[in-house]
Amino acid sequence: MDPTEPASPATLDVPVDAAATWQGLPVAARTLFTLSGAALAIPAALAARVFAGVFDLAWPWATTAIAAILAGGWAAWLGHRRYRYTRWRLDADGFSLRKGRLWQSDIRVPVNRVQHLDLRRGPLERRYGLATLVIHTAGTRDSAVNVGGLADADAEALRDLLARQAEHDRLHAS
Amino acid sequence: MSEPDAATASIALPEQRLHPLSWLFVLVQQLKQFLIPIVVLLVFGRGDRNELWGLLAVGVLALFSVWQYYTYRYRIEADSLVVRSGLLERSLRQIPFSRIHNVALHQSLLHRLFGVAEVRLESAGGTRPEAEMRVLRLADATALEALVRRHARSAPASTDAGDAPHDGVSQDDTNELLHLPLGEVVRVGMISNRGMLVVGAFFATLTQVNPNLMGEPVERFARSLVAWLDLHRFGVAQYVLAIVGFVIAGVALLQLLSIALAVLQYTGFRLIETGPRLTIERGLLTRIRTSASRRRIQAWTLREGLLHRLLRRRSVLVDTAAAQHQSEQRAFRELAPVATPARADALLRHVLGTTDWPPVTWHPLHPRAGWRLAIPGVFVALGLAGVLAFNFGAWGWLGLAWLPWSGWLAHRNAARSGYALQGELVAVREGWWSRHWRFAELDKLQVLRIRRSPLDRRTGMATLWLDTSGAGTFAPPLRIRFLPVHEAQALHARLATEVARRPLRW
Repeated sequence: MDPTEPASPATLDVPVDAAATWQGLPVAARTLFTLSGAALAIPAALAARVFAGVFDLAWPWATTAIAAILAGGWAAWLGHRRYRYTRWRLDADGFSLRKGRLWQSDIRVPVNRVQHLDLRRGPLERRYGLATLVIHTAGTRDSAVNVGGLADADAEALRDLLARQAEHDRLHAS
Repeated sequence: MSEPDAATASIALPEQRLHPLSWLFVLVQQLKQFLIPIVVLLVFGRGDRNELWGLLAVGVLALFSVWQYYTYRYRIEADSLVVRSGLLERSLRQIPFSRIHNVALHQSLLHRLFGVAEVRLESAGGTRPEAEMRVLRLADATALEALVRRHARSAPASTDAGDAPHDGVSQDDTNELLHLPLGEVVRVGMISNRGMLVVGAFFATLTQVNPNLMGEPVERFARSLVAWLDLHRFGVAQYVLAIVGFVIAGVALLQLLSIALAVLQYTGFRLIETGPRLTIERGLLTRIRTSASRRRIQAWTLREGLLHRLLRRRSVLVDTAAAQHQSEQRAFRELAPVATPARADALLRHVLGTTDWPPVTWHPLHPRAGWRLAIPGVFVALGLAGVLAFNFGAWGWLGLAWLPWSGWLAHRNAARSGYALQGELVAVREGWWSRHWRFAELDKLQVLRIRRSPLDRRTGMATLWLDTSGAGTFAPPLRIRFLPVHEAQALHARLATEVARRPLRW
């Protein structure tokens, strides 16, 4: 997987052919993932302050600040990586999702295995114009595939396309 | 259980009630959940004076059971079953016959005494059965079962139905595929080792109820044993003999208990094929009869543990998509609790309707998969040796002797593991000491996922996970471990295309 910065398609005319290309997440997703990672600084700071108080450390506030910076920075970096290494693709066979760098995952959901679709938008996601697409299948371990940080328009286009395709396949099952 | 042909007559009848005595069985069912705690408390408890409350509770439960009987009605319509039920909150359920995956009949000794049976109708997914009828007259129950079977067969091949009449079995032929005589049932017991579970559960319950109960007698016994040994001063050989004898006696007792349990559960085991539908019947006192359509089977497991191998048997297990988490007892799971390897393969070929089992070629894993599999063993050996060395000094490092053994096991395992693609089947085999084969038809696959851990990336390996419906918690996963990464990716792409070409049929 190449670590180059992906283009961020604002509106996407989802191509359904075998030559479909891998899509990255929009830039807003980078902001959101990094920010929500950095939010780990708050619990880390609280924990460090309590720890320093209980064990009577010399510079309690300095310890707290260092813990907050380290934890927040680390989680923000993870969030940034999560953004960089997430790719998705829709082709004639179905939906594919690649994610992770350290722990890599390459998921394929054949289009005729889609049972139903959910679109979720948390308050922060709404603020950044993002959405999470949840693809449900009849499987066991991977019965719900979560795709976070999609651009709103992409997510809706994907949902409509997959739903239509799934419906089409179900009608022509025999 | 016979199958009266009254099903056709009962189509579009007015609403029916359950068996008039059904309240009794509902009550028994509810009491059962409290029975063990109550008995345990009475026998071992510290004697609270609360028995009266218990009686009152039983009375209230009985009232509810009778009320439930008067509010539960069902009606059989042309292509569905309509159930009206509910005490205060009334509900009306319409269950199309084509949605029903499993039909399970359950008859305890009490049920058999009154000639009734419990019926459960299960559909795919969810955790609760679609309908649970406690209880129906046996004739009504079998008629309902036959009705569902008939509908599953004649259902139009529109949406997700569409039976593939495979082999030459005509639609109404009843064909016995497997029957377990007593000798085989005994083997089931020896292999299953159920006795261990029961004894474990017993002690766990005891310690839960009264922790002192276990501690005191054991301590007293140990003290008198030490005193007795002090008195006699046996030699080392005698000690060894005594310990060995003790272990053998314990194992023999557990085996006897396991065999007794197997005789209770598996006597009269029969696997029957009626058209496209498979039915399993078993049980000595409590009779269980559960049936599912052959195409509802999502994935297959063939197991061969050490005891299986000693007795030259294998087990055939299947997954169905129906809700069956609550009671494993009556789930449609064991096609063959034990069968000789040849018999198991023949059975699989017959039920699958293909000659592709067993596959001709098994593809190997990554050449270095043996080393990869040995890694957990290294940590176990280091941990073991560390703990031993801490407690017993330098001699503890003998714990590292675990290392060659586990490494050898890992290599044997890797050499035997592999995957196969043949016809409509994708199959995985794993294990050497305890072996299993796991396979599914291509049209039953769902999500396909490749996973790579940091270690996998260093060694150029990848693991391909194939998801199926209704995979049990204890069933081995359908995954191809430690493939060379390019092979895994090629297989991933190929399977995705193959699966996308096949409509989901379940």
